[in-house]
Amino acid sequence: MSRTPSPLPNGSWTAQGRLDGNSMPNGVHAAPNLYSNNDDQWAAAKAKSAHVRGYPSIQTKNEGFFQRSRRKISSTLPVFSPYTPLSASWKDPEKLGRSRWYPRGGGTLSKVKTFVGNVLRKFKFLFIILSIVTLITVVMSKTSVLVRIRGNSHLGGGSKFVIVLGANEGGGVMEWKGPREWAIERDSIKNKRKYADRWGYQLEITDMSTKKRYAHEWRESWEKVDLVRNAMARYPDAEWFWWLDLNTFIMEPSISLQSHIFNNLAKTVYRDINVYNPLNITHPPQTEFLDPVARSATGDNRTSSIDIIIPQDCSGFNLGSFFLRRSPFTDRLLDMWWDPVLYEQKHMEWEHKEQDALEHLYASQPYMRTHFAFIEQRKINSFPPGACAVEPKEGEVVEEGKTLLDPRFHYREQDRDFVVNMAGCEWGRDCWAEMYMYRELSNKLNRSWWEKFKDSLSGAWRSVKTSVSREKKNDVKQAPG
Amino acid sequence: MHFALPPRKTSQPPPYARGNTSVSATYRRRKQLQIVSYAVLGLLTLYLCFRLVLFATSAGSHEDGPSAIEGHQDVVLVTVFDNDAMSEDYIKIVKANRDDYAARHGYKNFYTNTSAYSKLVHPSPTSWSIVPALRHALTEHSSSTFFWSLSADAFITNPSLSLETHILQPLESLMLKDVPVVPPDSVIHTFSHLRPSRTHLILSQDADNIAHTSFILRNTPFTPTTTDNWAHYFLDAWFDPLYRAYLFQKAENHALEHLVQWHPTILAKLVLIEQRRLNSYNFASPPVRDQVTGQTQTYDSMWQEGDLVVNLKGCRESDKRDCEKEMRHYYAKWAQEVERLDGKKPKHHVKPPKPKQQQVEDSKEKAGALN
Repeated sequence: MSRTPSPLPNGSWTAQGRLDGNSMPNGVHAAPNLYSNNDDQWAAAKAKSAHVRGYPSIQTKNEGFFQRSRRKISSTLPVFSPYTPLSASWKDPEKLGRSRWYPRGGGTLSKVKTFVGNVLRKFKFLFIILSIVTLITVVMSKTSVLVRIRGNSHLGGGSKFVIVLGANEGGGVMEWKGPREWAIERDSIKNKRKYADRWGYQLEITDMSTKKRYAHEWRESWEKVDLVRNAMARYPDAEWFWWLDLNTFIMEPSISLQSHIFNNLAKTVYRDINVYNPLNITHPPQTEFLDPVARSATGDNRTSSIDIIIPQDCSGFNLGSFFLRRSPFTDRLLDMWWDPVLYEQKHMEWEHKEQDALEHLYASQPYMRTHFAFIEQRKINSFPPGACAVEPKEGEVVEEGKTLLDPRFHYREQDRDFVVNMAGCEWGRDCWAEMYMYRELSNKLNRSWWEKFKDSLSGAWRSVKTSVSREKKNDVKQAPG
Repeated sequence: MHFALPPRKTSQPPPYARGNTSVSATYRRRKQLQIVSYAVLGLLTLYLCFRLVLFATSAGSHEDGPSAIEGHQDVVLVTVFDNDAMSEDYIKIVKANRDDYAARHGYKNFYTNTSAYSKLVHPSPTSWSIVPALRHALTEHSSSTFFWSLSADAFITNPSLSLETHILQPLESLMLKDVPVVPPDSVIHTFSHLRPSRTHLILSQDADNIAHTSFILRNTPFTPTTTDNWAHYFLDAWFDPLYRAYLFQKAENHALEHLVQWHPTILAKLVLIEQRRLNSYNFASPPVRDQVTGQTQTYDSMWQEGDLVVNLKGCRESDKRDCEKEMRHYYAKWAQEVERLDGKKPKHHVKPPKPKQQQVEDSKEKAGALN
């Protein structure tokens, strides 16, 4: 290691003491100093190094990039220790004007900096994991990853549901649409779009404009059947199709269809129409030649045979909001629904068109009943007070400004009903006013806790303000008095 | 850190050491890469094979299935008698004929009477009884797979032919594809890509209509997973009260024609075969002259020796014809055929026909009752 210089005649032996004390950390650095004042030695060393310079003096094993550059990388890393590693016993000589070495000169700011650097280095794995988690959360919340997961048929199952919205009702040849109609359409579509996007459902907006094709066959509003069929062709992987009229509003967008209905289908729907039977249909069929399933009030009691889910209002089936499942049965039902012979005989009597036709199929074809299920109306189709209006009983006194509500049909704010259907609002009621009212109500009910807090604060402030101003007024009134 | 001095070399450096080490390192790396790529490729192939197999099975199960209806089938013959219009002897002859046929091939017979369904059918014509009768048969024999609805005015003339060998197994070659579903020129044609395994209704046409006096309906017995049955759908749709109230000229026959022309879910399950396979008449259809093309069309409906069935269609509607007399003619032929097959006469003994005079009066009375 140490190349002890030979005692040369004119060599300076002053350096000998330093060498003995072994205070120099490195002999190599010492060597040039040793010979610095000797020209001959210098020339010899120079010649020697010139001889060597043609080749790298250090031959490392050429073992790939990392091996080759490891030394370079490590030698450039900062060293914080004041001690050189080669001499553990080396002590900082106490000298005037010099104090202990501190990184970055030892200021307060630099101390903090060092401390932070140390902490960062010590807990770097924790920091890396934390930052990955944060990144994923941000990405998931900002992009549609969550929606995609919800929509995936294996994870959330949202893509198995299609919302079929009948838009542009009455548009086309029959009448001119005014700003209110446009506003209703815009709000309704926005509401469904938001809901579908949130849960990964598909939204199919259909054109219900009165076309000649239907008009000349006395078939306005019969498109429903065709449109559902088109939607089924367009979304070949979807299972459930939810028909919604334009005048509906999803009040609770935070409830998914799965949790609301389909995860527990057996309990949310009922098969036996006798549970609520406004049409007085004899059920089960009384013909004794029928098979046991058709003669049973609840069909075969399996959820797998439920292919259509229908709510009943005060006057029978309501097709403002109902579910159809892709199945052979549904193909047959949609096929029979359209039958011209039935319609030709009944089009004068069937005021509710396709609704009456469906009721007829249910009532007269026992096979059809075995795939029907009914759902409490307020689960998917709550009415505003104007629809299915309750007449006050004899002797009953109704307060001014209050409407009677039937708990079977009408929306109740306390129960947070899922969907409102402003059925029949085009006959003498104000569709836009109702839509606006329910939209605002839905927004109010579904505020975040922060918005609720703000609103309560401003409400409290307002009440204080009004009471103060009232007192002032009272004072003013009293003063002249 | 400082590396002032190089690491010490060995005293005996291996020859070509430098080259050796680098070669071994790259070799090792190449080897690792190879293993990884093999693993990836292997997984990919496995996945593709898996997908292919899955696709093939799923496609096979819902697209094709077995193309033919194989093996022995559980067949039920459904006959609706009309006690008011048919004499006891007549019913006896028909029953003897069908019992023999069923016993020969291991089939079952389901006999019923229009009076059982009069409440349901009223006020429509009694001919509608065939629909609830079939529904009834499906309930009674819910595990059977094929139901042959054969008019009471038809007679099985070739008892040696089984339904399987005569119709069900060779159905692929028998089915008429892409022909007008209702004669002579309905715009609705039967499907051109039908498969026997997906067939649920086997019908034939005569010169004027779909011949619904003899057809085969397939039943789907309930399974633990589903109770869905196309036959129930079809019969319930056919029997819709509004069809019965519509006053179709030929009642249930025209209702059926309406059904198959307007409803693809029914047309898709329907197969038409030549009339004489299933439903030969004992009269020839007169050639029809097409109004548009001017061509005369003949229709092969006349019974010939060896046909499965002879149908005395229309024998009750006209005064000139006598169902029982016509039936006895074929009964005699059939008795000979049975004797030839079994070496003995059929067990059922049918009395000789009553005097002619009474017969005519009877038939007149029946015709009156029918109208």
